[in-house]
Amino acid sequence: MLEQLLIFTRGGLILWTCKEIGNALKGSPIDTLIRSCLLEERSGAVSFNYDAPGAAYTLKWTFHNDLGLVFVAVYQRILHLLYVDDLLSMVKQSFSEIYDPKRMAYDDFDETFRQLRIEAEARAEELRKTKQVGKPVTSVKKQGQVSKPGLEGGNKRVSEGGSKKDDGDGNKAKVSTLTNGHSNGNHQMEDDSQETDLANGKENTSSNVAVDLSKLQKLRSKGVRGRGGVRKTDSIGNKSSKVAAAEPAKKATKKNRVWDDAAPKQSKLDFTDSVDENGNNDHVDIVAADQGESMMDKEEVFSSDSESEDDDEPGSDEKPAEAKKKGWFSSVFQSITGKANLERTDLGPALKALKERLMTKNVAEEIAEKLCESVEASLEGKKLSSFTRISSTVQAAMEDALVRILTPRRSIDILRDVHAAKEQRKPYVVVFVGVNGVGKSTNLAKVAYWLQQHKVSVMMAACDTFRSGAVEQLRTHARRLQIPIFEKGYEKDPAVVAKEAIQEATRNGSDVVLVDTAGRMQDNEPLMRALSKLINLNQPDLVLFVGEALVGNDAVDQLSKFNQKLSDLSTSGNPRLIDGILLTKFDTIDDKVGAALSMVYISGSPVMFVGCGQSYTDLKKLNVKAIVKTLLK
Amino acid sequence: MENLEDLKILAEQWSHQGIEYLQKIPPTQLYAAIGVLLFTTILLFLSIRLVRRTKSNTVLLSGLSGSGKTVLFYQLRDGSSHQGTVTSMEPNEGTFVLHSENTKKGKIKPVHLVDVPGHSRLRPKLEEFLPQAAAIVFVVDALEFLPNCRAASEYLYDILTNANVVKKKIPVLLCCNKTDKLTAHTKEFIRKQMEKEIEKLRASRSAVSTADIANDFTIGIEGEVFSFSHCSNKVTVAEASGLTGETVQIEDFIREYIKP
Repeated sequence: MLEQLLIFTRGGLILWTCKEIGNALKGSPIDTLIRSCLLEERSGAVSFNYDAPGAAYTLKWTFHNDLGLVFVAVYQRILHLLYVDDLLSMVKQSFSEIYDPKRMAYDDFDETFRQLRIEAEARAEELRKTKQVGKPVTSVKKQGQVSKPGLEGGNKRVSEGGSKKDDGDGNKAKVSTLTNGHSNGNHQMEDDSQETDLANGKENTSSNVAVDLSKLQKLRSKGVRGRGGVRKTDSIGNKSSKVAAAEPAKKATKKNRVWDDAAPKQSKLDFTDSVDENGNNDHVDIVAADQGESMMDKEEVFSSDSESEDDDEPGSDEKPAEAKKKGWFSSVFQSITGKANLERTDLGPALKALKERLMTKNVAEEIAEKLCESVEASLEGKKLSSFTRISSTVQAAMEDALVRILTPRRSIDILRDVHAAKEQRKPYVVVFVGVNGVGKSTNLAKVAYWLQQHKVSVMMAACDTFRSGAVEQLRTHARRLQIPIFEKGYEKDPAVVAKEAIQEATRNGSDVVLVDTAGRMQDNEPLMRALSKLINLNQPDLVLFVGEALVGNDAVDQLSKFNQKLSDLSTSGNPRLIDGILLTKFDTIDDKVGAALSMVYISGSPVMFVGCGQSYTDLKKLNVKAIVKTLLK
Repeated sequence: MENLEDLKILAEQWSHQGIEYLQKIPPTQLYAAIGVLLFTTILLFLSIRLVRRTKSNTVLLSGLSGSGKTVLFYQLRDGSSHQGTVTSMEPNEGTFVLHSENTKKGKIKPVHLVDVPGHSRLRPKLEEFLPQAAAIVFVVDALEFLPNCRAASEYLYDILTNANVVKKKIPVLLCCNKTDKLTAHTKEFIRKQMEKEIEKLRASRSAVSTADIANDFTIGIEGEVFSFSHCSNKVTVAEASGLTGETVQIEDFIREYIKP
């Protein structure tokens, strides 16, 4: 049954709660909903899952944007109440009739709510009864299927594939579980039963086992088509054997790359013999501490262009120009009178144009879509103020949303954290992770230079023990910057190297330890496991994901997979996820700055540094206003 | 009927006379007279506006998320916090006479109270309201003080070093909320802790270089441990409890700076 239904204003005052249901909610689901969903511009999602010790809730919400009200319904996740959406919209309608900004108590609404709830429940019962015609016939077979372990896994996977197709609900639920940092177990169960509901609903007349299987196969194939790339989601019948066959084959090839100390090839690959060191000394110049101010400390001076009227630019609105012409006169008329309520159809073309514009700025498609949905949810039903066009209202709302996303959720003052760690006599450990070739080692050196400028003693740890030349690269940087480096050569376990580096730093009193790791693809299971071992063992203070600004849609995949692996493979209850993002190669993109937005949106962590060149001073902070302006130009 | 016609005739006569009179005056004098009239009216408007501007009646309620600003807002306005609050997504604004003063007779100037959301993603909203603020109430959760001490002190530091606050010397009240609970800290303890944390912030933020990291000004005196008395604007500490309606000290502070 429904646990709670709340009505509150956007300013935070609760106007009405359902008094019949007296259950107190465990934890604080509403506040968590606001903080991790609505303020994170995910209000276009369908529902939000909240886990507290002793309870698992699902929350659904709707807005009344004109009056600034939010309606939230909370219920237990195991119950799949179908009438919640209906109920919410009915409550919204009837409450907006009696709403008065001056009134604070709405006790008379209790009666109305009770009637609405009975109505909604009755309607849901009817729907369920019509579905039940097909149910008793298929349920027997379903039980038979579920009992077989292989097929049970198949059911789950199918549901995962199936759920992917309904408006990315699975994605959104996944994202929310990531933000909660809890296992996917609950989420999969919900999807499973949702999927079977759908399946049952579709079958009206079937009573054949063959039909069932064929339908399941169709759904499975749809799931595979939905996402390209390596998908291990099929495990029904023959496909499972294929995947199983692929895995040992993969493992056979990967064995060569596993780092274990007993490997006999160790001596061959380890070129870090001390003979070369002295020879190299002459060629390395020591970087004077004054190579100039790091750009981190410079004020950002961006030219204040006069705000160009984007709507006058013919280039930006090419496609919807025709559709706009028809609606132009009426929209002008409406903008003058200013009384129109914004409907989805009105917002549609403006949002579509905005989404295309974002995508031309290299924002990932998925992110642009979610953002537009969120802005739509926040604008629907709002009254247009006079003398504004729909497109400018949408633009203003989108600008607001973008500023909100890019503003960090927590303080990104690293120096402050370093000082705090210094007081506790512990070194501040930063781990640089990322895929291959994004610029981890280069930017590590830049960060070291910046910290040095701020009179912080730094130590580097060369935990990239795989790539040839990685240790030498760091050694060169260390020599130029005159900072100590801890290295153990190649083919060593990076987690152990990092641990020893931190111990060394504690001994010789370094304030910060910068740990360089090898680049790895997000799909590479053994490497991700090694990374998670490194992080679990050493518990760094900051896990910095290094991503390049040139990346496109892959940013979403990279970050979400990294976070997922880190949370799945973590041994403790509180998994360490990515704490910050370092955006590199920013000088190579002119105005296609969308990667910053995609990364921040999908991971929720702020951009701490931006690398904009290959010399030591090319490190700066993210200027939120400039980025938003560039994105919407 | 006759009266109307008579009036009409009279009006016509007067207008004729007026036009004749005007035409008699040499044009330069006319223009000069009109010019002087316009000039004086403009001067009057400007002076009225200037005088009005110095008496802003905006009070900002700021602080971290969860410190109790929205509850205090409704307490000051209505005398009760109604059915509770959740995290605010938008500022709450209102111009009203404080609830406790409703009973007083006579004309009392209403206060424009703004409750700015404390969530860090909504921090830019505070900067929108700072220019028009006459006083700032910084609300701190006295119950959960120590875990949030750093974040609260950073926020307070940002406010105290803001250009608007320093230039206009906007007074700040450090309000310790939730003092009705037994385990709430005292205002002296909170004051000392905040001073310590701000001292650390001062050290780390003005460590180097010509450009400060994010702050417009530095506060405090060089070489001395920071104390709120070093600020050019007045910083005072008070206690309050939003849930029980203990808001006397806040109201006194508001009335001190917004004359009734």
